[in-house]
Amino acid sequence: MNPIAAAVFAAVLVVAIGLFARRAVLIYRLIRMGKPAARFDDIPGRARAEAVVVIGQSKLLQRLLPGLMHAAIFWGFIVLLPTIAIAMIGVVDPHARLPWLGRQGWYAFLVDLFALLVLAGVITAFVIRKVQRPMRFAGSHLREADLILLLIAGIVVSLFLWHASQIALGINEYPAAWAPISSLISWGLHHSWTPYVERAAVWAHVLFILGFLVYLPYSKHLHIFVAAINVFFGRTRARGRLEPINFEAPTDADVRFGAATAADLTWKQMLDTVSCTECGRCQDVCPAYNTGKELSPKLLMMALRDQLLSGASTPLVPNAVTDNVVWDCVTCGACVRECPVGIEHIDHIVDLRRNLVMVESRFPDEAATMLRDVDRAGNPWGKPQSDRAHWADGLGVRVLSAGEAAPDVLFWVGCAPSFDERAKQGAISTAKLLKEAGVDFAILGPRESCTGDPARRMGDEYTFQKQAKQNVGTLNEARVKKIVTTCPHCFNTIGNEYADFGGRYEVVHHTDFLAGLVREGKLKTLAGDRKITYHDSCYLARHNDVREAPRELAAAAGQAVEMPRNRERTFCCGAGGARMWMEERRGKPINEERVREAAGTGAEILAVACPFCTVMLDDGVRTTGAKLQVIDLATLLSEAVERRRTRDSPTSTGGG
Amino acid sequence: MSALVLMETNDASLQMLTLARKFGEPLRSVPMDAIEPFAPDAIAAVLALAADELGVSAVVAAGTDRGNEVMARLAARTGLPFAANCISAEPGETVRVVRQRWGGSLLETAILRSPRAVITVAPHTVRVTDGPQPKDLDVEPYLGRLAPADRVVQVTDHVAAAGGGVSLAEAKVVVSGGRGVGSKEGFAIIEELAGLLGGAVGCSRVVTSAGWRPHSDQVGQTGTKIAPDMYIACGISGATQHMAGCKGAKRILAINADSEAPIMQNADYAVVGDLKEIVPAISAEIRKTR
Repeated sequence: MNPIAAAVFAAVLVVAIGLFARRAVLIYRLIRMGKPAARFDDIPGRARAEAVVVIGQSKLLQRLLPGLMHAAIFWGFIVLLPTIAIAMIGVVDPHARLPWLGRQGWYAFLVDLFALLVLAGVITAFVIRKVQRPMRFAGSHLREADLILLLIAGIVVSLFLWHASQIALGINEYPAAWAPISSLISWGLHHSWTPYVERAAVWAHVLFILGFLVYLPYSKHLHIFVAAINVFFGRTRARGRLEPINFEAPTDADVRFGAATAADLTWKQMLDTVSCTECGRCQDVCPAYNTGKELSPKLLMMALRDQLLSGASTPLVPNAVTDNVVWDCVTCGACVRECPVGIEHIDHIVDLRRNLVMVESRFPDEAATMLRDVDRAGNPWGKPQSDRAHWADGLGVRVLSAGEAAPDVLFWVGCAPSFDERAKQGAISTAKLLKEAGVDFAILGPRESCTGDPARRMGDEYTFQKQAKQNVGTLNEARVKKIVTTCPHCFNTIGNEYADFGGRYEVVHHTDFLAGLVREGKLKTLAGDRKITYHDSCYLARHNDVREAPRELAAAAGQAVEMPRNRERTFCCGAGGARMWMEERRGKPINEERVREAAGTGAEILAVACPFCTVMLDDGVRTTGAKLQVIDLATLLSEAVERRRTRDSPTSTGGG
Repeated sequence: MSALVLMETNDASLQMLTLARKFGEPLRSVPMDAIEPFAPDAIAAVLALAADELGVSAVVAAGTDRGNEVMARLAARTGLPFAANCISAEPGETVRVVRQRWGGSLLETAILRSPRAVITVAPHTVRVTDGPQPKDLDVEPYLGRLAPADRVVQVTDHVAAAGGGVSLAEAKVVVSGGRGVGSKEGFAIIEELAGLLGGAVGCSRVVTSAGWRPHSDQVGQTGTKIAPDMYIACGISGATQHMAGCKGAKRILAINADSEAPIMQNADYAVVGDLKEIVPAISAEIRKTR
């Protein structure tokens, strides 16, 4: 052992750990100051997410090349972790070894292999960043990333050199044959100065590692430490559910409605911001960003993080992000689904909105009508509630009166199908099909009121909760057990959010329910020959995993073709997050973007399963002039049932 | 205990006095028109200086647009907490106020911890009561102590509502065009008819999305809500979002090529046909009768 080397190393180690700890403690203290968030339930589920998303790199591997690149570096680092100890021992004494593991041939082989994989990963990363240059990096700290990659390259190159020179000097304890790459390099290292190479390499290796350690918490590469923690504390409950504010017995945190300053973020939200690696996958899939709006989920996270770490107590809006950024979001959840480190962007947006709406009273003027009408009239258009069941005139649909118990199925119609001319058709077809299949069902008619979803997504939690409590009261009084609805927003709100207000029901989307009736043979269909492409609603496919039932219906009705962005990677129609009630003043219209994608499939019919999508995409078809008809799947199914009936009994078309 | 009030010549200010008197006598006042043209920072500066000199325990104003603006600026420059739109106040060690939130749909009880309460009183929530009237302060001495920066924000001009013509929200007749109009240029016949009827031009959301008309012309849920005596909707299908903006119309005349369009059910008079023929024909007929 060399006492000077030991002393120098000890001093360097203490400084490095001190610098690291100073920053780590600061970040830890900040996060401890965040508002509470209930994220300690379902530990097994959290462990599973950790195994799949972190160890399995599942989200990263959705994109093959960058995914393999990252997996190579990540898995490589896990395998190489013990070499840090081995090298630190080696710095002090070239002949000392880590007990047991340091002597294992198989481990030496793994180190050789994974160090090579890490190097390949770093080179791939450079190719991606310098040659391919994907747009998702726009706005990220590019130099920071370059420096990190160079450090990683330095770590593995110095590791190879150290191992190779040890082999050349014959001071390796494991058999050299187990380390083919290091052995190969060692052929060029039989010189008188090789002992110096050995010393320089091991020192370089350890200094690179300590430099890396110090730099990480000051850079976006902090994710190496916090991403795994953030994924662990990710949501285990329904993705479509927002955290309620307690107005009845508010805590100090509840009284600060939403997030005004960085200190109003929950600790999970703070953890989100420091986990961001600026990879831009969220930005790549964001409908707002991709149609030229101000919002980029990545830049949002970076701005919130910068303000949090700066310690500023000024309002987040407009200091960190502009008002436009907050209102551009459609809450489609594409960013959340894509994020490899478990950031939940929607929660941030909604908390910023809650503060702007409930405290500052600052939001796009045109949405005020919706909030007022939901509050006063029970629907966003201010239509008379007494007209709510008019869509069902002549269909013989039973309207449940007060005091009556609900039948097997309650058909929750929703505001858009009740009042909007275009959205009505889906409800009419659904009612006809339910009757055809002999389902015992009823509607609430004038006693049904807006679920409050648009108000909630706007940030008006107070109006939402008023609606929620009223509806839960009505549903519980009628002892409702099973609800079928044609609206994915009602579906999400009643199914995922009403439980927080004492409403627990089995909620089924009409596509799911109708597909069940087809499978059971209660509805017999005959597919037509028109090409149909189905547009997934965000609140079905992404927030609630309803993806296959609508496709069964599309296949039963015609010749189904897929759009490039389908299922959980669907592209929003532009109506979510209460955007339905705001003007789209910035960038290109989202609905037109989606209509062009649909038209590109060559389909004649754009099938939908959501009344908002119906209105938005139909508008898009009108403005783009695309040759498409926007039709709800229930209507297409109803036509398929009619087609089958005509084929089976061609003579009885007169009604016999 | 005494209070300083910011007085305007309106009922809201008389109502405000009822609450201000709770903070004790004598009441001293600064008139809102002490500085002409209106300069909110300058008045806030006068209030701040006067409040210090008089040592008042509260500064109170009516919760009008100007009242809230001046008091917000006073709060910002003095660092005192400000409670806007209160309906009651109980002075004491701390001041307990009840104030309106969410446009008056909710009342919040709040405790104000402050050496000097800065509050505005929501209009039409407090009754006017008899009592000592405030004495106007002589603001002249304070004006000399204002900084130039205090006069940066001031009213420089009054401009009548834009457009010169009839405003969409208040027009007795509105002639609107939808996608059926076909182009930006197509609106010439709509403008002509609106001009002859002394009305305003409106349009649907599709039209503003296409950039044919500005958003200020849009009638609908996310545009202007109108309540004319007569609404003439040309080439508009009548989506719910549009109808939400014109449901206040007394009479609707729809001109549309599609007899199945939803607007036809909502219209009092419906003409099925090509608006490019019908609208100019109506204009020609009106000209003849004049």
